[in-house]
Amino acid sequence: MASDNILVIGGGPTGMEAARGIASLGYKVTLVEKRPRLGGTPDASQYAALTPDLRSAEEAIGEMVDAVTNKPNVNLMLDTTVVGSSGSVGNFKVKAIQSGKEITIDAGAVIVCTGFTHFDPGRETQKYGYYEHDDVITLVDAEKMLKAGNFVRPSNGEKPKRVCFIQCVGSRDRQIGNEYCSKVCCGISSKQAIEIRQVVPDCKVFIFYIDMRMYGYWENEIYWPAQEKYKVNYVKGIATEIVKKGDQLIVKGEDTTLRRPMEVPMDIVILAVGMEPSEGTKKVADIFGLKKNKYGFIETTGGPLNTVSTEVPGVFAAGASTGPSDLEDCVSSAGAAAMKAIASLRAAVPA
Amino acid sequence: MPVDKKQIIEKEKVVVDGIELTAEWNRMFEQRVVFDYDTTTLDKVTNVAEAESMGWCYQCGQCIPVCPVDNVGEYGPRKIFRNLQLGMDLFASDDLWQCTTCMNCLRVCPKEVNMIKIMPAIREQAVLEGNVPEELQKAFTNTFEYGNPLGESQKKRADWVQGAGVPVPIMKDIKRPVDVLWFVESYPAYHIRGKQASAALAKIFNKLGVDFGILGVEEKDTCDSQRLAGEMGLFEEFAEYNIKTLKKYKFRQLLVTDPHALNAFKKEYPKRGGEFDVIHYTTFLAPLLEKLNLTNSLNYKITFHDPCYLGRHNGEYEAPRKIINSLPGVELIEMGRCREQSYCCGGGGGGMWLDGFMSDHVSERLSENRVREAVKTGANVLAVCCPYEVSRFEDAVKSTGNEGKLMVKDIAELIVEAMGN
Repeated sequence: MASDNILVIGGGPTGMEAARGIASLGYKVTLVEKRPRLGGTPDASQYAALTPDLRSAEEAIGEMVDAVTNKPNVNLMLDTTVVGSSGSVGNFKVKAIQSGKEITIDAGAVIVCTGFTHFDPGRETQKYGYYEHDDVITLVDAEKMLKAGNFVRPSNGEKPKRVCFIQCVGSRDRQIGNEYCSKVCCGISSKQAIEIRQVVPDCKVFIFYIDMRMYGYWENEIYWPAQEKYKVNYVKGIATEIVKKGDQLIVKGEDTTLRRPMEVPMDIVILAVGMEPSEGTKKVADIFGLKKNKYGFIETTGGPLNTVSTEVPGVFAAGASTGPSDLEDCVSSAGAAAMKAIASLRAAVPA
Repeated sequence: MPVDKKQIIEKEKVVVDGIELTAEWNRMFEQRVVFDYDTTTLDKVTNVAEAESMGWCYQCGQCIPVCPVDNVGEYGPRKIFRNLQLGMDLFASDDLWQCTTCMNCLRVCPKEVNMIKIMPAIREQAVLEGNVPEELQKAFTNTFEYGNPLGESQKKRADWVQGAGVPVPIMKDIKRPVDVLWFVESYPAYHIRGKQASAALAKIFNKLGVDFGILGVEEKDTCDSQRLAGEMGLFEEFAEYNIKTLKKYKFRQLLVTDPHALNAFKKEYPKRGGEFDVIHYTTFLAPLLEKLNLTNSLNYKITFHDPCYLGRHNGEYEAPRKIINSLPGVELIEMGRCREQSYCCGGGGGGMWLDGFMSDHVSERLSENRVREAVKTGANVLAVCCPYEVSRFEDAVKSTGNEGKLMVKDIAELIVEAMGN
């Protein structure tokens, strides 16, 4: 028997927006999240402020959580992990473990919103010494400190005088296997650079980059203020490696426009780590038989004209489960997926 | 491996621990590795009012091909930012004095890094610290002492009138309102070639029956180029004086020969209470040419140099061309770099008084570069309408070995030739 319910897997911004959209159109939705709370990566990784508007992440994500909590048509299932699926469009039987108990969810259509994970800078190469030097941190670590309003050197708790970002860590790298650009790191680094200058005004901040990829309004909303108002120094050429001298980190690279080697001391080095598919994305793709691209993200079928349909009828993917995405991408594709899921449901379940 | 000569530092004398090293040890290679980005001076520069935009450069490099100085040297706006990021002390650097404020970089700059504001602001600091190239200081001192950068006597400012061959009324003598008050400016009043152009303009005014007068010995330099070269104090004093003097007289329109004066009267004097209806002489004459009944065929191939402060700075490209095209027997051949894209003669922003200083930094003068371009068009006349240019280009014609091939003439002189008397 056909189901009139839509299953949304993943309670991050994409899943919450998809669920909200479906419910607001008067359709039933089951939103499952494996963690005991909603919010996804912005919540789990304790994001401080959103890019590009520097709005409090807690406040913005909180609004999204409220929009799907105790709402008609939304069946919220936390602490629930999808483990298997049978059936087809109009009639999926999805197996899940909820708080240790196996359950079955009936769904006419499914939207996968299982997101990404931050690149682990120790995964392939150790040239930046992430696990070796306390003061080499990632965007994620910096975000946590900025959320706490206490930006200090992890090694000694002192305020830094010189901080640099190294862009494209784990992205645009054939050796690592991630040839793609992670899209958001240039903006997030610039956003954090602004925040660091706000929190520690006498700290010099440098961004070592290959290309600054500030698409659309991020150019004028983040990059330009970072340089013009907050006097962040952008230097072309990312660092090759980091060596420790005394209690300072020496960042070695090329100053490419000067065509000379550089070896500059820094108190904190922030690695601008990119995005990789989350474990959940890879597992759920396998459960539903969705095609993954060579990086493990779910492959959608329509190129730029359809960013949410998969090869399996009735199963859609949105947000960072399909590739590097910013929040705007996530929310937009969530809406597109909600619309397409409803359409497929109506085709399978004639009114 | 070949080594770029610029990377070799050669000292005349090197003394280590009291011992002078032999000559072979006096050569060393430039430090290769960048050990620091000392942004102290960059911050100091961007903290100066009006110089904030120096920090906005994102190194796109669009300014470099259009910078007239970088065409013949190594100075360029993008490089200034980069060098500041690398610790250069702009306040003490020769780079501070190389910009001619021609505005070609600002025309193309996507970030609106404004060298027209940055340079005067930073130069002003250097001037206050007494850190000014000697020959520029001489021009400042001349202006301060004599009222003009040439160092000529203030009493002789109206002497050119004697050789004009036509009446040139002087305001304090005629004691009546005039339609047009002609602000002659220093080079047209004192320089030998400037005086000839002034005499030509006076002839045209007489032929047209223009009711005009000049300030004569009451006039002092507008000081716009001195301002752009960093002498703000001098500028303020002279602006106040000129405004006060002009306000003594009644006139409808203020006419200027010098585009730099045009710039001052249009953009700077109004901020100080000096609001006048100002017009450049080419703009004034362009609609009146038919009345002159120009009949003498000149048989010239003319190319025209757009003055930076008439064109890019104040938007007048058509009037000079309209005049040239109205001259009988004349063909106007444009240089590649014309109108908005015009090349700079090197005289603006203090460049007029820095030729010796600049010779250490450029392979040829900007005026020489421009004259070579003019000669290549096949023109035999280079027409100008800025008083800095006649002398600069005539020198350049000689130094580039083009004597006899190219004549440099003010547009007023060309009109008088076409008048045929």
